[in-house]
Amino acid sequence: MPFLSNRLAAVLLVPAMALLGVCLAIPLYYLLNFSTLTGDFAVQDLQGPTLSNFSDLLTDSFFLGVAGKTFLISLGVTAAALVFGFPLAALMWRAPAVWRSPIAIVVLSPLLVSMVASSYGWIVILGQNGVINNALIALGIIQSPIKLLYTDLAIGIGLVHVVLPFMVLSLVAALDRIDMAVSEAAASLGANRARIWWHVLLPLCVPGIGAGVTLCFSLSISAYVTPAVLGPSGPNFITTLIYQNFVSLYEWGAGAAMAFLLLVVAASAVFGLGALTNLLAPSRRRA
Amino acid sequence: MGRILFGVVVALLFTFILAPTVVIALSSFGTSEILEFPPQNFTLRWYFFALAKPEFLSAAWNSLWLAVVSTAIATPLAIVAALAITRSTIRGREVFQTILLAPLVVPSVVIGLAILLATSRIGFGGGSTRLIVAHVLIVLPYLLRTVSASLMRLDPLAEEAARTLGANNIKTFLLVTLPGLAPGLIAGMVFAFVISFDNVSISLFLANARMNTLPLSLMSYVEYNLDPSVAAVSTLLIVMALVVAIALERFAGLRKTLGA
Repeated sequence: MPFLSNRLAAVLLVPAMALLGVCLAIPLYYLLNFSTLTGDFAVQDLQGPTLSNFSDLLTDSFFLGVAGKTFLISLGVTAAALVFGFPLAALMWRAPAVWRSPIAIVVLSPLLVSMVASSYGWIVILGQNGVINNALIALGIIQSPIKLLYTDLAIGIGLVHVVLPFMVLSLVAALDRIDMAVSEAAASLGANRARIWWHVLLPLCVPGIGAGVTLCFSLSISAYVTPAVLGPSGPNFITTLIYQNFVSLYEWGAGAAMAFLLLVVAASAVFGLGALTNLLAPSRRRA
Repeated sequence: MGRILFGVVVALLFTFILAPTVVIALSSFGTSEILEFPPQNFTLRWYFFALAKPEFLSAAWNSLWLAVVSTAIATPLAIVAALAITRSTIRGREVFQTILLAPLVVPSVVIGLAILLATSRIGFGGGSTRLIVAHVLIVLPYLLRTVSASLMRLDPLAEEAARTLGANNIKTFLLVTLPGLAPGLIAGMVFAFVISFDNVSISLFLANARMNTLPLSLMSYVEYNLDPSVAAVSTLLIVMALVVAIALERFAGLRKTLGA
């Protein structure tokens, strides 16, 4: 198969690697650099390097509150996406051929729809005079509208909607790799459907679960549009807090430190969960 | 029994998935001054209202231009890098691949911010170059992934045959590899276009009044107004996404294009 000489291959890699170096590695260096500076960023009167931005953040209860909330919401979102993702993945996996395309289009379309557009849909659904409140009042379950929009719950609902297709894609990919003979063997040995799913298919899905959980969690903690549009006013998520530090507060040092911490958490989630998945997967040998 | 339960669960999940888009699309036709559902009466006036707004129009034009240019720049970069990774025995291929997919691991808010800080430090002005470069960076990994996957599915024997018959690298690529690659490549380019067109978190830090993008201008409009003109623009975006989804499904397979 390989027909390119190593020298030519190296040349072909240069443009993309150069782009990454100039547009990612150098900017990340400056991000780290700014996170060690303090002072007045508006007039460029700066001191440093110092780690005080980081130590201030780690003792700042407001920052820790927002960071903790971001973490918990993302954890909940990932769990919900996993629970909702399984039936959809099973459906895509076993659906008759004619239904596959329409199902794929419905389930995966949120990936292609502008997040801004679907967030506005959630505003209409969750608002004071929104679809849910009107329905609950009409059914006589509540007397006056309850606050759903501009809450943490709204952030969670919006985020589950955004990340769910990624979970489904990861799970279907895992299911597709399973040899059908395995579940047939379990069935012929007398296992019912529930036992087959729990004891046979689920363990074989571990790599897909790991990939989906990783993807959904890191997408959640770094989401900006959903918390900005659906969340409580003020900095309600790590990303909106970073934005506020830059745009309204001009606290570039603290903002850069937060962004750096977000990067560290996101990257460790990816590598940590990847390692955990490898550990838990029943067998890495190919069937 | 189990079948019925499964059906109910799937129906609920489909409702959840479709609800925001259906609701926003229907409420864009309402006559009321504020967004409401179900809409009262029917009008297209919010579409005319939105399409006559210079801020939306110029932002839409900017987004379109940005998405086309960044996809056009990233595509050749992704093709040559994918060729190097899938068609050579160069050492550290996996490492290169991991590095080139790194922009997927770094939260895009962080990328936008880092580029803002670097350019402000180096003194490389606002302008749209910075925005284009950032968008090239974020669409590159998506293109690289789809192109590499397509290359891996291509039968290398065809390429070998062409080489045996005396074709050089360039001829083999243009006449054998590229035609086989085309469906996956075009699907990847369409996906890259959508990623760039809808991006908020990077543009947030790098766009400015002169170079505003459509999602950003929608977000800032809604801070002060909630009339159905945003629903009208959103509906146009939803229709675009639907057309893209159906086209990708027909010509390349949605799962293959979007999946890892």
